[in-house]
Amino acid sequence: MAKTGMDRLQELKKDIFKCIHCKACRFAYSGEPDREGIGEFTGKQGTVLYEGMVDACPAGIEYGWEAFWNAGKIWIARSILNGDLEFTEEVRDVLMPCITCGQCSAQCENKVRTVDIIESLRAACKEAGVPMIDKHQLVDRLVKELNNPYGGKADERFKWAKDAGLEKYIDNKDAKIGYYVGCTASYRQVEVAIATAKVFEQLGMNFTLISDEVCCGSPFFRVGAVDTAQELMNKNLEAFKGLEKLYFSCAGCYRTITIDYPKWMPEDQKLPFKTQHAFELISKLITIGKVSFKPNKELKGKVVTYHDPCHTGRHFAVDMEQEMIRESKNLMFDMRKIKERQEAWFDVPRVILRKLEEDVGIKFTEMYRIKLNSMCCGAGGGVRAGYPDFSLRTASLRCDEANAVGADILTTECPFCWRNLSDANDLYTHGLQVMGILEMISKYNLLDLKEKPTQKELLE
Amino acid sequence: MIKISYKLPDEKDLEAMIGIVGKKYASNNKAITASYLAKSVMGLESQIPDIVIRPKYVEEIRKILIYCSAEKIPVSPVSAGLSGGFACPTIRPGGVLLDLGRMDRIIEIDEENRYAIIEPGVTNGTLWAYMHKNHPDWAPPIADGAPPAATVMGDAIDRGFSLYTSSVGPQGDNFMCGEVVFPNGDVVRTGSWALPFAKPFYKYGLGPDMWSYLMGSQGTMGVITKAAVKIYPHPKYKTVIVWGMSNPYDMQDLTLEVGKQEFGVSNHTVMVQGGNYPLVMARWPKDKIPHNYEFFKEIGVAKWWMNWETWAQTQEELDYCIKRINSIAKDFKQNRAKDPDAIKPQELHPKQIASRMKKPNKIAIPYSFWEAGFLFITWYTPWNECAEFAEMYNAEMEKRGFPPVMWIASIERCRQAICMPIICFDSTKDEDFEKVQDLNAVTTEYGLKRGWLNYRPDPYIHIQAYYQAGMYWKYLRAFKKMVDPNMIMHPGRLALP
Repeated sequence: MAKTGMDRLQELKKDIFKCIHCKACRFAYSGEPDREGIGEFTGKQGTVLYEGMVDACPAGIEYGWEAFWNAGKIWIARSILNGDLEFTEEVRDVLMPCITCGQCSAQCENKVRTVDIIESLRAACKEAGVPMIDKHQLVDRLVKELNNPYGGKADERFKWAKDAGLEKYIDNKDAKIGYYVGCTASYRQVEVAIATAKVFEQLGMNFTLISDEVCCGSPFFRVGAVDTAQELMNKNLEAFKGLEKLYFSCAGCYRTITIDYPKWMPEDQKLPFKTQHAFELISKLITIGKVSFKPNKELKGKVVTYHDPCHTGRHFAVDMEQEMIRESKNLMFDMRKIKERQEAWFDVPRVILRKLEEDVGIKFTEMYRIKLNSMCCGAGGGVRAGYPDFSLRTASLRCDEANAVGADILTTECPFCWRNLSDANDLYTHGLQVMGILEMISKYNLLDLKEKPTQKELLE
Repeated sequence: MIKISYKLPDEKDLEAMIGIVGKKYASNNKAITASYLAKSVMGLESQIPDIVIRPKYVEEIRKILIYCSAEKIPVSPVSAGLSGGFACPTIRPGGVLLDLGRMDRIIEIDEENRYAIIEPGVTNGTLWAYMHKNHPDWAPPIADGAPPAATVMGDAIDRGFSLYTSSVGPQGDNFMCGEVVFPNGDVVRTGSWALPFAKPFYKYGLGPDMWSYLMGSQGTMGVITKAAVKIYPHPKYKTVIVWGMSNPYDMQDLTLEVGKQEFGVSNHTVMVQGGNYPLVMARWPKDKIPHNYEFFKEIGVAKWWMNWETWAQTQEELDYCIKRINSIAKDFKQNRAKDPDAIKPQELHPKQIASRMKKPNKIAIPYSFWEAGFLFITWYTPWNECAEFAEMYNAEMEKRGFPPVMWIASIERCRQAICMPIICFDSTKDEDFEKVQDLNAVTTEYGLKRGWLNYRPDPYIHIQAYYQAGMYWKYLRAFKKMVDPNMIMHPGRLALP
């Protein structure tokens, strides 16, 4: 039997009751009051002091009320569990404008799984008979009809591959490796899909695009339509049966299939294939000396900064932490190992950026809020669809931060972040170039393959 | 207790509030009101308010209070945090919660006269970061251990604990002048600020001092809208000196010997705080940390210890303090300790020293990690009674199955002790709540008989203290009646109806 949102909320009860309402979760770097920053910067969305701890919950910043900051939501959850509050449309309207970026969970000293709680609250709200907001109802309808939330035709999902001369990879029966493209790269940011597939091709990877691929379900897990999400999950698990490994170019899809699917699958089942984001592969190949980059005059001297997508960055880091906490016998001793593992995880895309600096001549500069404390792009959690103005203001806040370090190019590794940052960049005239790392590698033909990776390296 | 009937605000009252602050800043949305609950850390009595208002200006507050007073609607002000001081969440009978988080201006920093003028919503984190960047040689007296989102004013109004407390006295003493709006509609400025052109340079101003009536008031008198807080040098030469021991009596007596010096080393030891090994243990999940003392002994944690955080303007001064504390400790060990063999200096790694000196910090937060929830039940005792307090309280905690977690700090060079047992419990279980209440009731009865005082008396159990101080309470009530004639401010607190 499929799990309900209320089931998950009950599972998370102890987490919910751990919250002491200290509100540290509203800040990035909540434990680093003396952190040296870059000073005050006035951007398109106002002035921010990038020093010490900085307000970083997008919904809290936008709406101000306690209910919109994370801690307020956890106490709403507690009120629901205690029977002091019932789900209504006004409660839903407070729960929905959260990007589920997880900044809060990264700050929490009591390790409260905030994103899980908020998603479960939304699911329970829907189960209680409260309709989803109109925009979410629309995408829910679309995905049920067309298997994607953009209204794209199912038979056009891989049109980009056909147009780019990559058709031979569609349903390539010999391949043990799949490339899960996702809806955004298939129907909107096709540059990302093309760039990723071409890089795979250059590496000599024998991969397949599966024509039965459907939406990963991410937006539906996020907004509480878990019945829809679980249906999509089952379709994908069936479609990818037999594959040994699945690569991704979308942070959201990667997070959903790697982290969410096991949570919502029956307890005795495991994900039947390994998963990895394309940037992890490139990073690994750089580390073992098989990949480097060609110099490029156009990029030389450009200031490049990197936006950690919440879904590949913080969500994986927090999930890692939770897993290690579960397994630990003495957490006081193991906490250092957790921190080291998280730091290594955040370094994966930075290995590529440092190599680009070394070989291509870009100037890689970090923004103030990075890694576990990265500021969200504003697109996730159903917010881009449901609250577009707020979503773009948040993206613009992030572009301000890139402007504050003098960036020419803002890179990321998620087409959804790409879309939102790019739209905000245009709308608020930030003057940045927004680009995926793989997109940059492909567009400027930077890949210098020293030695092809072995099948073992591609599969492990 | 005298009972008064209050009106709970309705839609008409909400409209009136919207008329004052605008639609965006007044709400009775049930999710919004529920989000202000906080049954943890400093109290378990929080209730959902009926309306929340987020004013920005003094005049808005004045109008809100006048309206609510006329309508007999209870009002609870919170500065921005939700745990204590000027941040007590709403309790029965509910009413209006004033969220002062929008009043977050740092108005002025004056290095020569050494004060900062702030509004109630200024958080520890914000003020610290601002001064670190713009006035790096100075630091505000923020509360050590209070989380970064706690407010400077919230802590002050509890008279609480700051990073300078052992040296300069309770946090309340760090406040020079204030501006307060009373429900009778008056806006009063205290201390030297009572004169229209005066700087906030003298707390006792025209005298008698009215500010002190607001200290410990828990939002029962009025809404403080501005305050001038002392700032102090933030010197480069700092360290933490630690001595370990086996029992609270040796901790108490040794610390008193240093504190009683009054001059020199006592002034340099800005923060003097200690505790027992469960203070380390209970920061981790109950099932993921050894409980036996042997483990902690192996990693260098004493059964009891005291930290002297020492700040000095020169290395010479700092060296003198280290030497002086160590020589007092050695002399104590040789001549007066109960268990001399256990008295040992604790060597700290530079990272441990840096971590202990970080301000503000999240050190007090993770006690929920043990199970799911915790409560600080904090008391003031004369310093030389804190060991007795610790022994009594730890025994009562253990009797009920709670880990005996005890933190103790010096106020004003060991004139008083702030004793904080941390009750780590499972707040998902009703029976644990009952055990906590029982513990609180039993220890309160004991504590009051000993003449000890609650740090922030809760409205139900600790309230006995006010009944025992009848004459004082009479005048407290008379003052409240004068400024809050309909008794609308935070009813129930301080045994005021």
